[in-house]
Amino acid sequence: MMANPATWQRTSPFAIVFFVGKTIKTLGQSFAQLLVTFGALAVLIRRNPYLFLLIPLGILAIIATGVLQYLFFRFAVQEDRILIRQGVLKKTSLDLPFERIQGINVERSLVDRMLGLVTVSLDTAGSGAAEGQLPCVDAALADLLRTRVSAKHGSGDEGDARDEDAEEASTGSARRAVGGRSGRTGERREAILTLTTGDIVRIGLANHNLVLVGAVLALLGQSLDFAADILAPAVESAETAFAGADDLAQTLLVTGFIATLLAIALGLMIGAAVLRHHNFTLWREGTTFRSRAGLLTQKEVVVEAAKIQQISVSQSPLMRLFRRYRLQALPAAAMPAQARDAGGLPGLAEVLEVPALKDSRAEGIRTRVFGREGDGLTVLPGSRGFARISAHFIPVLTLRISLVSALIGAVILLAIVGSERALGVAVAVVIWWFCSLPPAALISWLKWHRHGYVYTGEGLANRGGFLGRKVDSFLFRKVQSVAVRQSPLQRRKGLATLHAHLACGKVSVPFINHGMACRLRDRILYRVESSRLRWL
Amino acid sequence: MGSPGIPDFTKAETHNPGPFANPEVRPGSLPRAATLDWQPLHPRYAKRLQAGALIRIGVLAAVVAAAHVTVLLAGFETLSRIAVWPLRILWALCALGGAWAVVKPLIVVPRCGYAVREKDILYRSGVLWRAVRVVPFSRVQHTRTDSGVLDRRFGLANLTVFPAGAGGHKIPGLGTDTAENLRAYVSERIEAEKLEAADTGS
Repeated sequence: MMANPATWQRTSPFAIVFFVGKTIKTLGQSFAQLLVTFGALAVLIRRNPYLFLLIPLGILAIIATGVLQYLFFRFAVQEDRILIRQGVLKKTSLDLPFERIQGINVERSLVDRMLGLVTVSLDTAGSGAAEGQLPCVDAALADLLRTRVSAKHGSGDEGDARDEDAEEASTGSARRAVGGRSGRTGERREAILTLTTGDIVRIGLANHNLVLVGAVLALLGQSLDFAADILAPAVESAETAFAGADDLAQTLLVTGFIATLLAIALGLMIGAAVLRHHNFTLWREGTTFRSRAGLLTQKEVVVEAAKIQQISVSQSPLMRLFRRYRLQALPAAAMPAQARDAGGLPGLAEVLEVPALKDSRAEGIRTRVFGREGDGLTVLPGSRGFARISAHFIPVLTLRISLVSALIGAVILLAIVGSERALGVAVAVVIWWFCSLPPAALISWLKWHRHGYVYTGEGLANRGGFLGRKVDSFLFRKVQSVAVRQSPLQRRKGLATLHAHLACGKVSVPFINHGMACRLRDRILYRVESSRLRWL
Repeated sequence: MGSPGIPDFTKAETHNPGPFANPEVRPGSLPRAATLDWQPLHPRYAKRLQAGALIRIGVLAAVVAAAHVTVLLAGFETLSRIAVWPLRILWALCALGGAWAVVKPLIVVPRCGYAVREKDILYRSGVLWRAVRVVPFSRVQHTRTDSGVLDRRFGLANLTVFPAGAGGHKIPGLGTDTAENLRAYVSERIEAEKLEAADTGS
């Protein structure tokens, strides 16, 4: 297969699975869309049971499209570029020169790993989407691509991209070639961190879905009388066993039942964490950061160091208990993590994520990514260096939260009571608004308490959050555009909000001194306009 | 306001960049967005906004009028009795909207403005909620000028510059030739920035 890489070739037939998955993903691009489709289908089936036949037909159609897509997918690797042709009805042909490829990400499912195959996605600069994806190709091909791309990058524009690296190269010979699969490429490898089993268990325990699962279970149990049904015979037998002490037995059984459910949920969460993060390793190779993890589906994320725009370190309350942080290095055009998880949009630039790490490690990664420019810039939410934002933030947010809650309350009340008793509704809403002031003030105070910022001559770290804490830090020279905004109240108090737009999103520092905001903006502009280092 | 242990560059270094100084930029040429000569938007832009808003209000008024006529002609006594107040409110809204459509652009447009410097382009807007946005030329990916039907009637065009990441920064209400000149200048500056980067980069 690899004998003559310049000719057109197909991927392995196992790619059909990939294409089927992709078709399903496009169909269910938005959850709402899927819901509507299923709802319509359910209604139709209720009307006419024969329509049930549509379901296997639909599945067959999806599989057939997968097969067709596989048959029409061809690619050719040439000396300096890769050509990809695909599409059944709408044909697209892609011509990707290796210089334009920023990263090669590799994912291996269980089947892939048994057969020595990989799914390669090629990240390109500029456009957000990973344009090229090669499903289920030979692992050797990924290596070939990698060497060719890195050769292109190495010979081409070594100068600016490797600036920070070049200095370290002279001193870095000591940590040459650490990893296991060394010798694959000729570049330096520096292991940065691996996750221990304890860390993975902590991730599982700190999963906030646990609370959600608990709530859902409780709801299910209540609505279906699920718990009662299961417990009824057990309670009866218990009653016969502990005649007279049935109250105690019942409470014991219920608590036991809940504990079992919780244990199962915990086990599932830890299992999911193990599946996803097993054997997590992060290392640096040349100018790229790479991470690999996964028990069944192994995923490798490769991000060019120069492409990283922002480092976000977050800590949920539970993780705070474990003294662990979550670090994300956002490359250009990366979607925020939540949107990525929810939408499941395929092929966006990968975020390099370390799910759990200690504070010293986080700072270590910060120095590696930002280099000497990041000196003095902290990424840790607990750091003492953060300056507070103005306390005028609290009343404004309090008012906003309470007004929104009052508005929602008014709408609900009007819907329930009707518009005849408008006066009563108005009074109720005003009372409701008054009652919602203290909790709103508490929330606002907590948010204000979380907010903070640190700046140096080269970068800024902005802390925020509500229950958890999160710090976004970036270098000034990576900023795309800046804005200083002032609301009427802010103007009266001499305050402003600073927005720094990066290629991966926006960082806002609210309610700081107006003069400060302007100076920060001017400093950012100065760094952007005078820096000759590449931002991408 | 600065944090303890962190150099407070805002006091001294903006005037004398010190160790951060890039020899190409003289301290005097440091960007300072506050002391700027803001260029106003085209005077006709207020009229264009008024026209656009009035057209929208006109459409609304036509709908309301149609509803009113239908209610009157339908001859149902209960319906016309119920519909009296909603119709009055809608007419009042139309009148208010019309007045606002005339007044708002006269307030908003004079407070908007743009400024072009050697290295970046600024746009300020807002009456109550004010904002100043700055896009450095070295970060602009592409530019766009567009003008809709109404814009063309008034001889206006909009310029949008797109940095990487989300969203473009739009400067509306420029004269057609101003927009074209500005676009040409921005493109020229982008190219210049690229060349400069390539020169000093390698």
